[in-house]
Formats: sequence, structure tokens, C-alpha cells
Amino acid sequence: MAFYLRRTAFYAVTVWAAVSLNFLLPRLLPGDPAAIMIGKLRRASGGRPLSPEVIASINAVLGPPKGTSLWEQYLIYWGRLLHGDLGISSTRYPARVVDLIAAALPWTVVLVGTATVLSFVLGIVAGAWVGWRRGTWLDHLVPVTTVLQSIPYFWLALVLVAVLAVQLGMFPIVGGYDVFDFPAGPEASWAFLVSAFTHAILPAVTIVISSVGGWLLGMRNMMVATMSEDYVVTAQAKGLRPSRVRSRYAARNAAIPSLAGFGIALGFVVAGSIVTEQVFSYPGVGRLMIQAVSGLDYSLMQGVFLVITLTVLAANFVMDLLYGLIDPRVRTHA
Amino acid sequence: MRRALRTTTALITAGALALSGALASCSSSSADRSGVLRVWAGESTPFNDNFNPFSPDAVFATFGAIYEPLFFYNQLSSDPPTGMIGQSFEINGDGTVITVKIKPDLQWSDGQPLTADDVAFTFGYGPNKSPQMVSATAPDATTVVLTYNAPQFTAESLILGSTTIIPKHVWSSITDYASQTNEKPVGSGPYVLDSFSDAAYTIKANPKFRDGEPAVKEVQYLALDANQSGQDLLTTDKLDWSGQFIANPDSVTAGGRIGTANFQQDPTVIMACSNADLGCKGPQTDPAVRQAINLLLDRDEIAKKAFAGLTAKGNPAFLLLPRDQQWLADPATGESPQSPNIAAAQKVLEDAGYAKGSDGIYAKDGVPLDMTIVSPDGWTDYNDADKLISEQAAAAGIRIEARTVSDAEYYTPASTGDYQLMLWGLTQSLVADPYSNYHEYFASSGTAEVGTAPPSGQNFARYSNPEVDAAVTAAAATQDVAAKQAAYATVQQHIAADLPYIPVVVNASQAFFDTKDFTGWPSVEDPYADPLPYLSTASGVVLAHLKPVQK
Repeated sequence: MAFYLRRTAFYAVTVWAAVSLNFLLPRLLPGDPAAIMIGKLRRASGGRPLSPEVIASINAVLGPPKGTSLWEQYLIYWGRLLHGDLGISSTRYPARVVDLIAAALPWTVVLVGTATVLSFVLGIVAGAWVGWRRGTWLDHLVPVTTVLQSIPYFWLALVLVAVLAVQLGMFPIVGGYDVFDFPAGPEASWAFLVSAFTHAILPAVTIVISSVGGWLLGMRNMMVATMSEDYVVTAQAKGLRPSRVRSRYAARNAAIPSLAGFGIALGFVVAGSIVTEQVFSYPGVGRLMIQAVSGLDYSLMQGVFLVITLTVLAANFVMDLLYGLIDPRVRTHA
Repeated sequence: MRRALRTTTALITAGALALSGALASCSSSSADRSGVLRVWAGESTPFNDNFNPFSPDAVFATFGAIYEPLFFYNQLSSDPPTGMIGQSFEINGDGTVITVKIKPDLQWSDGQPLTADDVAFTFGYGPNKSPQMVSATAPDATTVVLTYNAPQFTAESLILGSTTIIPKHVWSSITDYASQTNEKPVGSGPYVLDSFSDAAYTIKANPKFRDGEPAVKEVQYLALDANQSGQDLLTTDKLDWSGQFIANPDSVTAGGRIGTANFQQDPTVIMACSNADLGCKGPQTDPAVRQAINLLLDRDEIAKKAFAGLTAKGNPAFLLLPRDQQWLADPATGESPQSPNIAAAQKVLEDAGYAKGSDGIYAKDGVPLDMTIVSPDGWTDYNDADKLISEQAAAAGIRIEARTVSDAEYYTPASTGDYQLMLWGLTQSLVADPYSNYHEYFASSGTAEVGTAPPSGQNFARYSNPEVDAAVTAAAATQDVAAKQAAYATVQQHIAADLPYIPVVVNASQAFFDTKDFTGWPSVEDPYADPLPYLSTASGVVLAHLKPVQK
């Protein structure tokens, strides 16, 4: 029990530190979102001066609150955060950051999440098999998949789009669903789900192809190492069925290090796959992040970073707890 | 943003296409689109549900397709503007009173009448309220009188061609116009909003439009994040209109469905922080150095290798030729030299007291000609051009280091003057008069000391010349052609010699459009509007001209 309490306390402190850092960082950066927005408005109106009321209203929404100390701003920031208010985007003024993230998050989580899980399962299962049959032709799978992983991702994606989507017309080229069939946006219908699914195949396949090699290689090598352990030899000597030795004795122990990596990978799912989303115009969080950074949209940046930080921490927390469950040594030694 | 999209993909795709070409090409049949025109105006996902004509973040169909100004100024021609809501206008002798006649019996898309009252309201509303305005009145249903306390000759196209007319019955109750999203726009243009999602939105023909419902009944705007996606959708018959950079346009037009146009207008220049008096530092503050760079450039090579040969030739008078031909004072400034003249460049330097050092680099008083030119990382055409400029300068004995920087390290130093040389884009005057170029980029009113951004104008080169300032002021106060020509001649003479901006090329602005299913696109023979879907007003004019091909 003490183990779980210690971990919980540790993560509570980390969350506090991360959220505070998220408050401080944009304030350390140069540039003022209100000034940027006022500049944009002035250009949009052909260089004519803006009325003082408009400038005041923009300052009220985007600018730093006048006459408040950093400490007071910090308290206000926490207050807003606890109410789920992440501020107003300056690149998509007057859209709320919460709404932008809420619209993008499901796409990213489903696409990148599914692809990450798929890649992990494929890599672990294939890695266990290749490791078990080490020294046979199956070993060739290792260089093949690692070469695929080392190809720059966007190049691989562009080639797949050019061949499978443009030339052969097997997959859609862009988007999260068919905007021609559903001009009014997502709807709750079977046809829409089918459309969203077909649009996710190619992006997901590219993510899997380019990431499965790492899981496979790691698992295969751990498998080979585990198989020379005394308990595996003992299990074999006891005359257990090879399939039982493979799955219950060797693979189970070999998978533990990969599981830790999987936890971290899952945490980063919400960050999206920036390049995937760019190549496929997929409506995810990665796109928002690029736009926020290139447009110096501090509230949007802050919001996206906060969501990413919290998810990474949450994923690590869950993995930590699970780890304690899977591997009792962690609990006692910690 | 749109610029940034023309990313690194061009060459890579060439490889990808070569690879895919090896496979049997299975031609996708033209899908049944029942006359819907599909447009990518360079917007990226997600769309903002924002149709507020005062917002810089509104979607592009707001300007031209849904809302209109009084008149349309075709930036491709020197013809007088054509009437949209407006019928005719008159400016009095001293330029302080503009009287506009609007067309009779107009209607807003919600059926309410559009009268001079709406127009007068618009000019007194929000950011349209000019500090120089005295009054905006509507003496009768089709007459608007705008009175100012200073001449408005130079603001004519801004007032009549870029002020979006809004319905009084909707906007009179809105005070905070900047934070409106106006999700149900009521406009006067050829289209009204049909449906919206953050991946695409559709506009449909406005039955109340003054010239009758446009022939193309539905137009769908898409959001894409990569230029390559636009190109792929064009080649697979899924997109009908886009304005984007495609290095090898033949690959898109070869199928016969897509036509293309490329009306180059905006100059790409080497911008120099040119004024030591305002705090600029470096050898580029010496006009002789800038003149030498101007002479040593191999613009032909830059155009071919960095810009895929799609650009036009620039000129140091910063005119759009032949549109602005009547304002060109000296034919010698009508075109920048396209091939290098290194001997002449070196002579300029030697006459100015520079001598070649042992390292082959010119120097004066022990200070070598060593400068940095920057461009944003990922703008591959700019990055390549910088590398070529660096090589060409080195051959003549000037060291120019080409560096790529992030977007933030590009725009901020440009406005605050914290740079030596930059590859930079100027925006060409939208009317056949170079006044806005000279006023915006060359007048002292548009500049500031290094360290601060200019409060108005974009004279980031920090150029300051009292004679140019006087000539620009003189040109603003008159409508007399001869007087203006004389003023512009003075400006051109100075800026072509001082070269705070060294012309490189005139940027490509490629448009691609479906000529098989739709007719009526602008062409070289009939350039009635620039066929770029992201342009305000012009895009609405093009849409209203199009006709679906009967099958």
C-alpha cells in the first residue's frame, strides 16, 4: 500500500510542477498575443486605426490582466483551469481553446491510439516468435522492419499516398472522413463511421509500418536473452509443452521492458503524429500544435501542452501501478 | 501560412511519382459531382466558423462570394473599376467628397432592401470609421455622400474597393465587432452559406443576387494542410479550383481537365537594413554595396533554379508592367538586369573605395564585405535563392552567408530592423498606380529606428530620403496625371539608385482550374479578374462568371 501512496504523492507533485511551468513558460517568451491580434485586425482593416473600445476589448480577452501581480495571475490561472477554461485562441479568435482541442482530440486518440496499440501488439507477437525461432530465416524480419522504420516518415507517407491513393485509388487522399459525402460535418450514422474508418486506414498503416520495427527488435532481443535464463531451461527440462514455455515463461518476462516503453508511447498519443496529420490533412491535435507555434498563439500552445503533459503523466502513472502489479520486485525495492 | 505550405515536398514527390509511374496507372473516373465546384483557397484545417468581414480569421468565402465592396478593382488591368453594389462615383476637385450612386432595387440575401442607408451606415461603422471622415450620409435611396477633411485620392481603392458593405439591420445592434463570428452571414454577394463543418463548408447560389442566381449552384471550400494534397486532389478529379505553388504544373494540366494561369505580381526582393542613421549595422548600409549586389546577381539562374522558372522579371521602379506603363519615367528602370555583370559590380565597389583583400573579399578600412541573408526554414524556394545569391556574390568578391531561421526569427527582426539582408516579399499595389508601393515601403512615415517596429507602413528597410518623401506627399495630393508622373519620376530615380530593396524576381501566383466542367475562367486574353481563389472580391467575381458545361 505504501508503494501506491508514494507513487500517487510523487505524481501529484509532478502535475503541480508541470502545470505551473505551463503557466510560466509563455510569460517568459517574447511577444504579446493581444498586440499580435491588434496588428492582425489593423492589417485586415487596410491600415485604418482601430477604435479604443476594440483595443480595450482585445486587451481584456488576450492581454495580461492590468495591475495584477504574477502571483495573482497564477491564482487566476489555476482558478480558470479548474473550471476547464483554457482561454481564447488568438489565431482563431474568438474560438475557445477548449473547443478546438475537444474537436481535435477524438480524431487523434482514435487514429494514433489504435495505430500505436496495433504496432505494439504486432511488434511484440512477431518479436516473440522471431526470438523463439532465432537463427532461422525469420531473423530477416528484423532488418526489414528496421529499414522501414528508418525511412523518413513523411517520405514513406507521400509514396504510399502517391501509389495507393492517387495512382490506384484504393484509399482516400486526405481528411478524417469524406467531406464530399458529409458536407455538414460528422454525423451519427453507419455510413459516416465507414467513411471515417476508410480514411483512417492509410494514415494508421503508415504509422504502424514506421514504428513496428522498434517493438519487434526490442522484443526479439529480450526473448533471446530470456531464453537462456535458468527458469526457461528448467521449464524445458520439466518437459512442458514448447508453446507453454514460449508464452508463459519466456515471452511474459521478455515483454516487461517493452511494456514500460509502451506506457510512454501511449502518453504521447495525444500529441498526435504531427507529420501524419500534416500529410493527410487529418483533423488532429498535432496540427493545432503546429499552428499555435507558427502563429505565436500562446493560449492554444498552453492548452495543447497542458493536455499532452497531463496525458503523459497519467499514462506513466497507470503504467507505474501496473508495473508494480506485474513485477512484484518493483514494489519492494522502490 | 500559405507560403509556408509550399514545403519541401516538391522534389520528394517527383521521386514518388516516378516510382508510382512504374505501376500500371489506373485512371479514376470523374465522380458525379452534379455541378458542385470544389475549391481549395489555401486554408488549413480546421476551418473557423467565422464569417465576420471584420475578422482577420474569417473564412475566405466571406470576402467576395458572400459580402462585397462597392466596386471591383481588377488588379490585372488599368481599366476603371467595375460596379458591384455601386453604379458610379465622383470625387470632387480637392478629393474630400466622394459621391457614390448605387444600383437600384438591390436586396440582401435575407430579402431586406439594400439601400444607400446601409452603405452610409457601413462607412460609419467600426474600423471603417476613418479619423479623417467628417460624415457619411444618404440623401436618397441610391446616393451616398462621404465627406472627409483631407484629400482621399490615394485611399480611393481602399474606400470603394476594399470596404465590405454590411446590412444595417443586422450590424446596428452589434458593438463588439471584433469578437463576432457571424455564423449566419447576410450579404449581397452571389452566394449564401449552405452548410459548415471544420473540414469543409458549402455556399450556394443566392437567388436574391442582383444579376440573378449565378450559374454554378454550389461551391464547396476544402481545408487542406499540405500543397501535395491539393495537387493530388487536382490530378484525381476531386478538386476544381486552387491557387497554389506546383513546381511542375504540366503534371497537373497534362490530363486536359485542368487549366492554369500565372499572373505574377508581387516582387521578391533582397531587403537591406539600409539606413545607418536609424541604427542599421553592416556593409549593406553603403548604397555602393547594394548597387554591386544588384549588378552581380544572375537573376535568370535564380528564377530557373530556385523558382522553377515560374516567376516574372522584376524592375527597380517597383511597377507592375505593362499595367503601370504610364508611370514608368525612365525605360532603363523598366527591368532589372537578368544576367550578371561582375566587372561593373566590382567597378562600383572600387570607385567607392573598396579593395580586394588577400582572401578575395572586398574590404574598406579593414572591414570586409561580409553579410548575412536570412529566409524562413522550409520556404525551399527562398532558401535555394539565398544559396544562389551567396554563391554569385562570392564569385564577385562579396561574402554573403545564407542562413535559414524560424518564422518568428524572420518576421520580428524584419519589423524591428535587427537584420542585415533578408529575402522578402513585397505586395504589389492593387490598382494601376504605384502609390501604395512607394508610400508603404519607401516613405519615412512607414519606418522607425532600429529596435522598434514602424507604427504604420512597412518600410522595414529603414529607407529615408526627404526628396522621396516630398514626392510621395505631392503625388497623394493630386489627381493630375502629369503632376503624378513627375512625382513618381523623382521617386523612381532615387529608389533605383539607392536600392533599399534589390529586386530579384516577381513571384509566381499559379492558379489551377477545371476547364472541362466549368467555363468562363479568366485568361490572358480576358483577364477580367485574377483567378486566385484566396483573393478578396476577385474570387467572388470569378465565381459569378463561371458556367457549368452542359453534358
